[in-house]
Order: sequence, then structure tokens, then C-alpha cells
Amino acid sequence: MAKKQAAEATSKRRLDGDPAFGYRALPGVADEMLDPQGNVRPVWQRLLAALGRMDETELANRFARADRYLRDAGVFYRAYGKENTERSWPLSHIPVLIDEAEWAVVSEGLIQRAELLEKVVADIYGENRLVREGLLPPALVASNPQFLRPLAGVNPAGGHFLHFCSFEIGRGPDGNWWVLSDRSEAPSGAGFALENRVATTRAFSNLYAETHVHRLASFFGAFRDTLQAQKLHPDDRIAVLSPGIANETYFEHAYIARYLGFMLLEGEDLTVVGGRVMVRTVAGLKPIGVLWRRLDASFADPLELDQSSHIGTPGLVEALRAGSVSIVNAIGSGIIETRAFLAFMPTLCRHLLGEEQKLPSIATWWCGQESERQQVANNIEGMVIGPAYSTRPFFDDNGQSVLGASLRDTARTSVAEWLATDGGKLVGQEVVTLSTTPAWVRGRLTPRPMSLRVFAARTRDGWQIMPGGFARIGSGDDVAAIAMQAGGTAADVWIVSDKPVERTTLLPAEESFTRNLPGSLPSRAADNLFWLGRYIERAEGALRILRAWHARFAEAADPSMPLLKDVSSYLSALDISTRQPVPVSLLANIDSALFSAGNIRDRFSPDGWLALNDLSKTARKFHATVQAGDDATHAMTILLRKLAGFAGLVHENMYRFTGWRFLSIGRYLERGLHMTRLLGHMSGPEAPDGAYDMLLEIGDSVMTHRRRYNVNTAALTVTDLLALDPLNPRSVLFQLNEIKTEVELLPNAFVNGQMSPFYRETMRLHSGLAVMTPEAMNETVYKRLEQDLEKLSDLLAQTYLG
Amino acid sequence: MANEYRIVIQRRAALPMLYDINLRITYGYEVPVSGGRHLVRVLPASIPGRQRLIAGSVTFQPTPGERSESVDFFANATTSILFRSVHENLVIRMQARVQAEATELTADLSPPLAGLPPQLASCWAIDVESPHHFIGPSPLLPEAAEIAAYAREIAGENMTVRQIGSAICERIHRDFVYDAEATTVTTTPAEAFRLKRGVCQDFTHVMIVALRSLGIPAGYVSGFLRTLPPPGKERLEGADAMHAWVRFWCGTTGGWMELDPTNNIPAGTDHIVVGHGRDYGDVAPVIGVLKSYGSHTTEQAVDVIPVE
Repeated sequence: MAKKQAAEATSKRRLDGDPAFGYRALPGVADEMLDPQGNVRPVWQRLLAALGRMDETELANRFARADRYLRDAGVFYRAYGKENTERSWPLSHIPVLIDEAEWAVVSEGLIQRAELLEKVVADIYGENRLVREGLLPPALVASNPQFLRPLAGVNPAGGHFLHFCSFEIGRGPDGNWWVLSDRSEAPSGAGFALENRVATTRAFSNLYAETHVHRLASFFGAFRDTLQAQKLHPDDRIAVLSPGIANETYFEHAYIARYLGFMLLEGEDLTVVGGRVMVRTVAGLKPIGVLWRRLDASFADPLELDQSSHIGTPGLVEALRAGSVSIVNAIGSGIIETRAFLAFMPTLCRHLLGEEQKLPSIATWWCGQESERQQVANNIEGMVIGPAYSTRPFFDDNGQSVLGASLRDTARTSVAEWLATDGGKLVGQEVVTLSTTPAWVRGRLTPRPMSLRVFAARTRDGWQIMPGGFARIGSGDDVAAIAMQAGGTAADVWIVSDKPVERTTLLPAEESFTRNLPGSLPSRAADNLFWLGRYIERAEGALRILRAWHARFAEAADPSMPLLKDVSSYLSALDISTRQPVPVSLLANIDSALFSAGNIRDRFSPDGWLALNDLSKTARKFHATVQAGDDATHAMTILLRKLAGFAGLVHENMYRFTGWRFLSIGRYLERGLHMTRLLGHMSGPEAPDGAYDMLLEIGDSVMTHRRRYNVNTAALTVTDLLALDPLNPRSVLFQLNEIKTEVELLPNAFVNGQMSPFYRETMRLHSGLAVMTPEAMNETVYKRLEQDLEKLSDLLAQTYLG
Repeated sequence: MANEYRIVIQRRAALPMLYDINLRITYGYEVPVSGGRHLVRVLPASIPGRQRLIAGSVTFQPTPGERSESVDFFANATTSILFRSVHENLVIRMQARVQAEATELTADLSPPLAGLPPQLASCWAIDVESPHHFIGPSPLLPEAAEIAAYAREIAGENMTVRQIGSAICERIHRDFVYDAEATTVTTTPAEAFRLKRGVCQDFTHVMIVALRSLGIPAGYVSGFLRTLPPPGKERLEGADAMHAWVRFWCGTTGGWMELDPTNNIPAGTDHIVVGHGRDYGDVAPVIGVLKSYGSHTTEQAVDVIPVE
């Protein structure tokens, strides 16, 4: 009650008098919400008034709604460090609002800049006139690690080097915008901008509807059309090329691919044949026409670029030379990102476009030239000095840059020396104070420094600037804290019109929909799905045996009892130790499942992913705490339940297409192997006392057995039920039956009207087992069946996963 | 790389030399490999005034599924091959007839060290001959403080760039022991420098890093070296080797100069050039990417036979 009154009091106070509720800009710093006179800018008034009407609880609820959306959608980024952990997306809930008219000026400047960047890159990899004519120092190209020599002289298939760029811009104290850095290598963030938008509108749905905010969808739609138009052949596929799950922005790669309807591929998925880039799919090699590259160029081809790369495609550069594939942006275009280029932009703009820069770059001097070096040395107080070939802005380069003003006198002499000896490797940049924007900090609006990331896409009608973007917001007053790795946050950017805006969506209109079947499944994805199925089932098999073991151990408390000893030795052959209640190898097994699943995140519901993570965490916790016996039996039951939860989520939610079939075949195959192996070991006449009952328990068939056979458990009835009963979902024959059903529906099950070797072998195993009698099953038969099933797995890999 | 037959004709031939060169590189795979893509740079170059490739061929066994020829950034002839079928061995053969021109060592036209930067700055080009490609660190040759200190100690104040190059070449030859067992193809120059041991690749890499640390553009030359058997012994077939040496820039008028630190001599008619690069990585005879589950062995046999 007291709390609520206090909240009401706060909101009252906010409403009275001051329209900005006590929000004040910092002295000498431009602010996004307040104009230089301290008045609230018109575009912000509606938002501010709405905020004023909400009390603390309502705001908290609204913010929670946004956060819940992000969590449910599985938005994450990867924080580099010891753990390389996934972090939930740090949304700053208050959007940054910019007037449409002002944005038009920014857009015009960035379009000019994108055109300029294209011309510079084209010259560097083409005629080299800029160097020859003395406009660009040769060292800037020749000593630049981003200059990729194998691409010199290679014309991009589509005629352009750049198709998608981003810019980091900031507003200086005079209110004008500056370009802080250019991104042309593999600009990230556009997908996050989309997610910021969705999340922020969850928080302010009514407000968003009332405010005329420009939509983002048409920008992506136009870019999708551009990529479609790049295809040289109608059958070519378009894909997003990702460095993989370990990358900081992998989520975004998966998200963008899904949003635009392109394949999500990694270097390993591709192969170059006859000068063409092909994707390995379960239906064979399929040509790729356009790759939207999110992989750093030097990793793209271990033969001609960075030879240490394990995530590239050998021969990719050769395919580029053949002009058979369009890579967006062109490999090598990252050179323009290097900081030293900022120093030459004004001159290059005048020379190449015949005009002044509409949006200036942050003042930069390359210290490889005598007079520029002097300029930096003489004005060290207002400079930040950093690596010339760095591709990151100075406030986000892991502390490689030095603020001149922070240096003591003695240090300054050594900086002078540093400049003199290493000048070519250094740039000086004017220190800028970025504008602030309101962030919600501890219950009030607080000014925080920000920079904007803005995206440009080449479209049929020239460059288009995304009406929005994402704002990076510092965690403190310090500009250096904007970097997300340093605790910064991200906010949506609303470009506000005074008229209603056009509403587009990338979803097709209802009356014209077609039902697209998913395209060919990449072999690597199929491989991961298959192994996910096997690992999950393998974990289940181990859990079931361990549970049965510990239940008996709890009663007997004597591990030397023949049955316990026998099962222990069986498990140890599978590298599972009964000495650890929750064995390490079981954890490794679950982690393998998690790893396989992680590689195909784009094919999973976030729920399934969370369930699998939960299973792994619980298993780890149990490993540290659980005791043998009852405690372990109980733990196994919990783990089995969680595992069933994951399997259920997958079973209920996964689209029944090729990917599903590989996952299923993996599960059936592993379950068949598990049961075959177990029966071979435990169903013989010399099996220790209690073995048959234990088998039934592991096979979850105790009830069924009681119902179906009017006798006590015996070798024959157990064999009948667990090996040969086509209706028991735990029996070996059942697994083969299911595999057969799935295999029939896989691509290339028939080749020229004949069964593929894989299909044929499945049929052979199935019919071989179907005609067996319980009496005929013995250790030798099981052994052979086990080997046959392993071979079936190899055959599947050869047929589909190679 | 070069082997124990390192006795080189010290007398500089006054006449052009004609050679038949045979190279055979054999890979044996423990587990047969399927597929694989390779870039091969083994064919001698034609360089006006330096050497002429009269005829040459590169062949492979088994026959690759795909093959294409190209010329890389540093003007090296490159063969790209792709295998689709399973194979246990790969044999690369190169046969060439090359005429090596007799080049007289000209007068030293290089500037003193302090005079080099202005000449470099006046060179507004990034074509294949531009020294700018050879100044900075390259993928296999990061800066190394120990080597820089070593170079500073050798370079006297009044020495010309060429004299500095010769002095460093001589010192490396004196301070380092030729030892094929001490290093591998991936040894860094800093490691080789600490060991003071290695083969021609190591000697060459250390010298390049030393020269670059002084601001002298320097690069890697891969090629063949004609060797003589020890006195009284027969020439053994296949006993010659692929070799490496240094090329460095002596200024606008001084041009490029080749020195062989393994033998402490200027490269002459016994040195047949295959390719130029910033370091070994740019001119490695074979770069290959293949999926393999086992190890592999490599053998190399070279004959450089003077045609009488």
C-alpha cells in the first residue's frame, strides 16, 4: 500500500509543471529529446506525455512484456570471454525518436556515402587510379590486412561490390551528425533492429499505433528483391552464409535467413564444382547463385585466403573469378572499413563524386604522412590515437585507442616517439562528445550517450536507407561504455512522420498465398538432426539402464550382486561408469545433443532449445550432488521426464518434412541399437537372476508383458516383446518398421526406378527380423544385427550426409 | 627444402645456363581420401633479363577431376586441381627447360637507409612490382622484436641498403646452423631465430623479417637450386631440392636484389625462380584442403640438370 502511494506521488510530481519530469541534458552535450533551449522536441512530446500517464507498475509491466517477447523469441547475442555465454538481448526500452525531416537529411548523406564507398572499393580492386593519381597512399592498400590480393582484378558478378552497408553515426555538440565508422565487411544489426522494433512495440503498442512511425519491412523487402535479381539462373538458390553458432550474432543470421526466406548455410555446406558454388543437400548438390555473407572475408576460402580457416569453402575465390556466384558484399570490400580511410573521405568524395560530403566523417588524420602526424602531435589534447587498420570505431575497440587528454606529460613524449616510429600504423581522431538520449534508469529518465547504427541497402532504385536502425546506448556517462560487450544497451529508433505512414509487411497478402514446401535440406543440417536424434536416444537408453541399476542397488546395497555386476560391466563397455551416480559420459552425451541442436537453431522452436538447455543444466547439478541408490533413481526419473519433455516439444511442434525424418531415423536407429545390444547381453540362458525383469523395466514394457503373456518372465517372452513385437514401440522390429516408413519418403529413395542401397539395406534388415522367431534369437544373431544397424547408419551418412 | 647437398658453384657463370628441371612431389595417405582441392605453384617463371621458361608441364596422378590454370597476384603460375574420386596417393610432376640469364652484379645504386623512405614515398603504385606489398608484416611473418634488434645491430649508419642486405645475409649464414630436423614448415621466424637453426625457408623468413624491421621491403622467392655432389661422388638422381631465398628493394634506381642466406651468395644462374611472394604462404608449392581421417607422408625429389 505504502509502495503504491509512493508511486502515485511520483507520477503526480511528474505530471505537475515540468514537461520533461526533471530530465536535464548534460552541459555542452546535445540531447535527442531536448533542444538546445531545453524544450522537449515536438516528436518526443506524445511519448513523454504517455510516459507521464503511466505509474511505476504499469511501466514495469510494459517493459516486462518487451523482455518476455525477446526471451520467448530466443533473441540472444554472444558475449565473448571465458565462457562465451549467450546473453539475453539488452534492450533499452525507451526508443530514440527522430523527426522525418531530419532523417531525410541523414539519409541523403548516407546514400552519397554508400555511393562513394562503392567507387573507392571498385578502384582498389580494379584500376588503382586513386593510388596512381596520389589520392590514396599506397601503404593504405598494400599494408592493409583487409586488402585481399586474390580478389584484385576480379569483377563482382552483379557489377557492384557493395549491396548492404551500415554506418555508425553520432550527433556532435553543435547538433550535426557525424559518421563515426563505415561497415562494409559483414554489417550486423539489421535483424536486431527488427527485433528491437517488435519488442518496443510490445511495450508501447497503443503509442506506436498513434505515432506515425516509419515501418521497417519495406526496406527488407526491397533488399530481398535486390538479392533475387542477382541470380544468374532461375534455379539458383540464395543463402545467408554464417560463420556458425560460435559467432556473436549467430541469432541474427538465423533470424534474417528465416525472415527473408533464404537458406542459412555455413562454409562446410558448400562445395565448388566446375567453377560453381553448390550446396550439399540430402537431395544432392544444388547451385547457389547469391550468398549474403556474414562471414569475415578472409575466412571464406582456406585455399586462397586465410589458410588456417576451418569455416570456409575451398575454391570459393575461384568461383568468384569465374563470375558464377554473387557474394554480397564482395569479398575484400571490408578494406573500406579500416579507420585510416576516414582521413581521405573528404578528398575522395570531391574527386570521385565532384561534391562535398553531405555528412562529414569524424575528423581523422593518418599519421603515415609528415604534416598529418604533426597535426596530431600538436593537438594531442583533443585527439584519440588508435590503430590505422582497425575496423572498429574508437569507442568500441577493446581499449586499443588512447585518449590524448588522458596522458600525463611524460607519456606524451613517448606518444610523440610512437607517432614518429609507427606513424603508418596509427590514426589520430578528433575526440567527439556524442549526444545523449533518455534511458530509463532506476525509475527515471536519465541522459545517456548514444550512437546510431544505420543500414543502407542497394535496391533497384539505388541505395535505400532503413528508416530506423538501432541505437547503442552507454551504461554510464562515458562514451566508451556504449559497446554492448561493455554493458551498453540497444534501443529502437523511431523515425516519426506527421502524416500516416505506409504499412507494409513481408508476409504475402492473404488471397494470393502459396504453400511453399521447405527447400532442399542441407546435408550438414540433416547430419546434425540425425545425430541429435541419436544422442537424445542414447542418453535415454543410458538413463533407463542407470535408473534400473540404482533401484536394485538401493535394495541390495551390494554392487557385487551378479545382476548389478553384469550390468556394470555392460555399461562400462559403453564408457558409462556406475561408480558415478550421474556419470560424466552421460553429461558429455547430453552436451553432444545440445551441440548438434545448437548448429540447427534456425530449425527449432525456442521452447525446445530451452528444454534441452534445462536438461543439460539439471544433469550437471545432479552430477555434483546426487548419491548412489534411491537418490540416483529419483534423479534419473527427473532427467527422463525432462528428456521426454524435450522429445514431446519436438514431436508436437516440428514440421513433418525431411529434417524431421532424419531426426526420427536417428532416434529409431539408436533405440534399435540400444535394445539389440542389451538383448544380446542379457537375454541369453546364462543371464543372471532378475535380468529378464530388469530388461522389461528398461524397455518400459513391464505392464505390457503382464497383459500379454500369462506366464512369468522368461527368455522367450521377453525376446518376443522386446525384439520382435511390431506393436511395441520399444522393440527392435518396431524401430526398423519406422525407419522403413521414413526412408521411403526421403529424396532419392529410388534411383532410376531402383531402390537406393540405403533403402534396400533397410528393407533387408526389416524383413530379416520380421520373419524371425523368438527361439531363433541368440547372441550371434543380435551381434550381427548390431553390426548391420551400425552399417545402416554409415550407409545413411554416405547417401545423404556426405 | 634444400638438403645436405648445399655445395654451390661459387664461380658466377659468365654465360647463360640451360637446365632441365624435374620435380616429383608424392603424397601418401594413410587412409584413402576422397575429394580434395589443391593449388600448385611449381612451374619456373619467365622473368625478362633473369630467366626464360622454354617449355614446361605440370602433371598429376591420378588425373584430377578438374584442373585450371591461372596467374596469381604476384604473377605466379598457379594450377588449381580438384579430385572427386578416392585415392591413396597423389603424385605431382613438373618438367621444365629453363634458360637462366647471366646477370652481372651492377654497381651499388641503393641509398643509405635514411634515404629509402622518401624513395618509397615517391612510389605511387600497388602493382605487382611495387615495394609497398613487402614492407609490413605478412600472414606468416609478424614483427619480432628480437630479430629487429639483431638487424639494428648489424646495420651500420653509413651503409647502403644493399650493403645492409648483404651484411644481414652473411650474419645469418654465420650464426645459423643448417638443420633439417630442427624446424618444420610451420616454424615461426621468431622460433627459428631463437634456435639459430633451420632450413632455407627459416633462413629466408628471418632475413625478410630483419630487413622489414629496418623499413626495407623484402619478399620470399621460391625456386630451384642447382647443387653439386660432394667431391668424388656421383650426382644422385633426385638429390636436388626446392629452395628459397630473399628478394629486397634497394630503392628506385637500385631495384630488386636477390640474396640467398642459406648459402650467403647473391642468387645467380644456379637459382631458378618459381615464384615471388610476401612469405612462404604466398608461394607454397602445394596448398591443399581435403578431408582426411589419417596422416599423410610427403616426398620430394628434384633434379636440376645442366644441358651441355
